[in-house]
Amino acid sequence: MAGNDGYYEALWPRSPRQARVKPLAKRLDTLAGKTVAQVWDHLFRGDEVFEFLEAGFKARYPGVRFVSWREFGNTHGSEEREVVAALPQRFRELGVDALISGMGC
Amino acid sequence: MGLAAASSIGLGMPNLPVARVVGHPGVQSKDMLERNVLEVTLEQVIDNLLKAPQAAGAGDEPGARDVIVKGGFQEINDYFYDNGLSDGLPIVPPTREKVEQFLRFTDRDPGESLGALLPDSRAATIWSIAVNGVMAGCRPEYMPVLVALIEAMADPAYGVEHSGNTPGGETLIIVNGPVIQQLGFNYTQGAMRDGFRPNTAIGRFWRLYLRNVAGFLPHQNDKATFGNTWRVVVAENEDVLKQIGWEPNSADFGFAAEDSTVTIARYTGGNHISSVSGATPEAMMPYLTDAMIRQYSWQLMFTVGQGMGTLRPLMLLSPIIAETIAGWGWSRRDLKRHLFEHARIPAREFERILRDWTQKPTWNLAEEARAGRIPKVFHASDDPGRRVPLVWKPEDYMLAVTGDLTRNSVYVFAHNGVLGYPVAKRIR
Repeated sequence: MAGNDGYYEALWPRSPRQARVKPLAKRLDTLAGKTVAQVWDHLFRGDEVFEFLEAGFKARYPGVRFVSWREFGNTHGSEEREVVAALPQRFRELGVDALISGMGC
Repeated sequence: MGLAAASSIGLGMPNLPVARVVGHPGVQSKDMLERNVLEVTLEQVIDNLLKAPQAAGAGDEPGARDVIVKGGFQEINDYFYDNGLSDGLPIVPPTREKVEQFLRFTDRDPGESLGALLPDSRAATIWSIAVNGVMAGCRPEYMPVLVALIEAMADPAYGVEHSGNTPGGETLIIVNGPVIQQLGFNYTQGAMRDGFRPNTAIGRFWRLYLRNVAGFLPHQNDKATFGNTWRVVVAENEDVLKQIGWEPNSADFGFAAEDSTVTIARYTGGNHISSVSGATPEAMMPYLTDAMIRQYSWQLMFTVGQGMGTLRPLMLLSPIIAETIAGWGWSRRDLKRHLFEHARIPAREFERILRDWTQKPTWNLAEEARAGRIPKVFHASDDPGRRVPLVWKPEDYMLAVTGDLTRNSVYVFAHNGVLGYPVAKRIR
């Protein structure tokens, strides 16, 4: 302890995280014949990125099917909470096997 | 990628797989983007769908009330800075004794949580409010203000989770009511300048809390392109308001004049307009409407588009301006109505801005209005040169009277819409 620098016992300024670690969904064995949903936040040219990905998938996996981001609404904006809350039910209705969500930056 | 990795921890999925798009799509030709997606992104997306990521667990962290470091002032400050727990300025070491002084100014249980704040999903506890209040240099008697602020931060309408977005907007806090005099806020000359403890320290507390509890750290969850530091708290000049018969800002949120309140909203920028001249409101208003129009471009996507009616422009008026306008019998509501009716731009220009700054290549305000998605005022005629408002309704404008008593100026803030919507809370 140097000179008049004092002595302190400082507390942690954070607080415990409330989110517990969740297991991720089981991965698919193949993408052939599967249904893949696209979810988009209407940013960073995701519409084009999804278009390119879709073409790349279809060239490799016969029968892979996509549900367009147009089905789900914008995941970033005034209606984002409603859109995200509705996703699980929409996925069940549409028989979705896997999901690609974009675009971050 | 760094943001995705940082955010996924707070969401309880630290091993959530992400795929990379090389560079920034916004500056790539279509061919370049296609090549980058097919050569890099595609393979990573396929891997993410087919290969199970390694299991992940929660990292070890201290307990909520743990002492994390002991030592001298410099040692404490070095530790906090080295561990991302401070903003780079010296902090007041948050000792138990100091924290307990703050807790004596609230009857809330220290363990009470006001909500879980994204992206870190940490509990906004009364205890953590006191700890960060100490660090920021607040006085213990500021504690009720700090609690009200974190209630506002935790309100879903505000949207704290957007605080690390690209535009890097910063929250402005406005205080109203008796608390202004009780705590000695500056509300005259230099209203947004540091140098007045309640204004300055409470403003710093806000940013420290965003860092330490919500989890917004630059290079991690805070992706502000440029950013700016925390704003000093603005207090309205309620002496002048009483003299001219105007209600305070807090009245717009349903509070009585005797209520002490905080109001928060995020702004991406602003501008000072000097020498607003004229002996009548009509003579002054062209300065004000012009200032308002010039402050808004891409943010119009919060009026129509990404935000839909969530743009809430704020104008600070120096007391002389407010006195002159009120002297001719205008109320705050009259001033807002005038801004709504006169701060307008041609519909074709509004549509061009939307086209340039959203992913939708064609915008047609007439179509949006006919479909009932926006108010009819945006389609009063089919003339593409018709002038349309910047906001949905007059009440969307916010006004506050503050600043130098002898200057004829206004300050217009560029609002961040749904990514920092105005929220007000009572200080108890």
